[in-house]
Amino acid sequence: MSWSDPARRFEPAEDVQLRAELRELLGLQPPPQRSPAPVTQELASLAEDLRKEALRRRRTERRRPSWGLIAAAALPLLAVLAGLGTWGVQQKQRADGLAAHAQRQEAELNRLAAANAAELARERKAKEEAQQQLQLVAQALPKKSLPYLVIPVEKPLRIQGEDYQRVKEKPGQ
Amino acid sequence: MEERQPETPFGDMEAFHGAFAELYPRLVSYARRYGATFAEDIAQEAFVILMQREERVEHPTAFLYGTVRTLSLTERRPMKNQNLSLEAVTEPGLAGGADDQVLNQEVRERMRMLSPTFREALWLFVVEGLSIREIADILGIPEATVKTRIHRAKAQLKDQLNPSGGVHVLV
Repeated sequence: MSWSDPARRFEPAEDVQLRAELRELLGLQPPPQRSPAPVTQELASLAEDLRKEALRRRRTERRRPSWGLIAAAALPLLAVLAGLGTWGVQQKQRADGLAAHAQRQEAELNRLAAANAAELARERKAKEEAQQQLQLVAQALPKKSLPYLVIPVEKPLRIQGEDYQRVKEKPGQ
Repeated sequence: MEERQPETPFGDMEAFHGAFAELYPRLVSYARRYGATFAEDIAQEAFVILMQREERVEHPTAFLYGTVRTLSLTERRPMKNQNLSLEAVTEPGLAGGADDQVLNQEVRERMRMLSPTFREALWLFVVEGLSIREIADILGIPEATVKTRIHRAKAQLKDQLNPSGGVHVLV
């Protein structure tokens, strides 16, 4: 039986039938019952050479990198990633701390502002009350004339004719 | 201590030599049909690639045909017609010419009328005697596609024989 005879590979009957129909359509003769091809010394030698070549290639071929080698190759990258990750975590923690600090400061400022506002309101209220008290007291006191400024008016001053002393002679006298 | 017989994809060494003697000439012819310049080298390379693999190959014959086809098509690809040739392939001293003796001029003409895609599947199925599963492996397509191509090739052949017309039903 031929090596490539489909019957050797348990081909379905319908495929065998189809092949026979196609051979008929093509006008091909029925396949001859060929005996196995003779294994000549030349072919056997060639097959052996090819097998040895395949073995040689299998031994010398560059192996695919194993998982260990892949891990070793990826180690620097992993180290960089780990460093970046650590730095990132630190930055995150630092940012969180700063944010919390700022939040506390803002809360403190709000509290101080509220306290000041309350104090201001209290003082304003006290001032208003004091003014009201003053007005009440002022209304209760008896009214009197208000003091006013009196400026005595004298005779108007007049410069008399000889009412001065000459300190320097006239020129030509 | 008895030396362990090396295993091959075809079994023991005797089976390998038998398969090699049977398949090598056919693979050389197959490579030539794709216009390979160094058909013997391609066929030998296919065997080496097959045996170099550490994983088990389920269909070694299909693997060899597929490798030969790929290597032949990639050899000087831009300059080549990538369709399967139906011209006679003669190789002195090799048994691969047996198919060419079977294929007379009329058969060649009928196959030449088919579209290249169908012709390729038909050639592998009828002339090379490969199974649908193996052809699917070689061409890298699903088995259903192989069956469709073969059935369409059959319909085209019927059209050639009955040119006056008629309705064909794909079975």
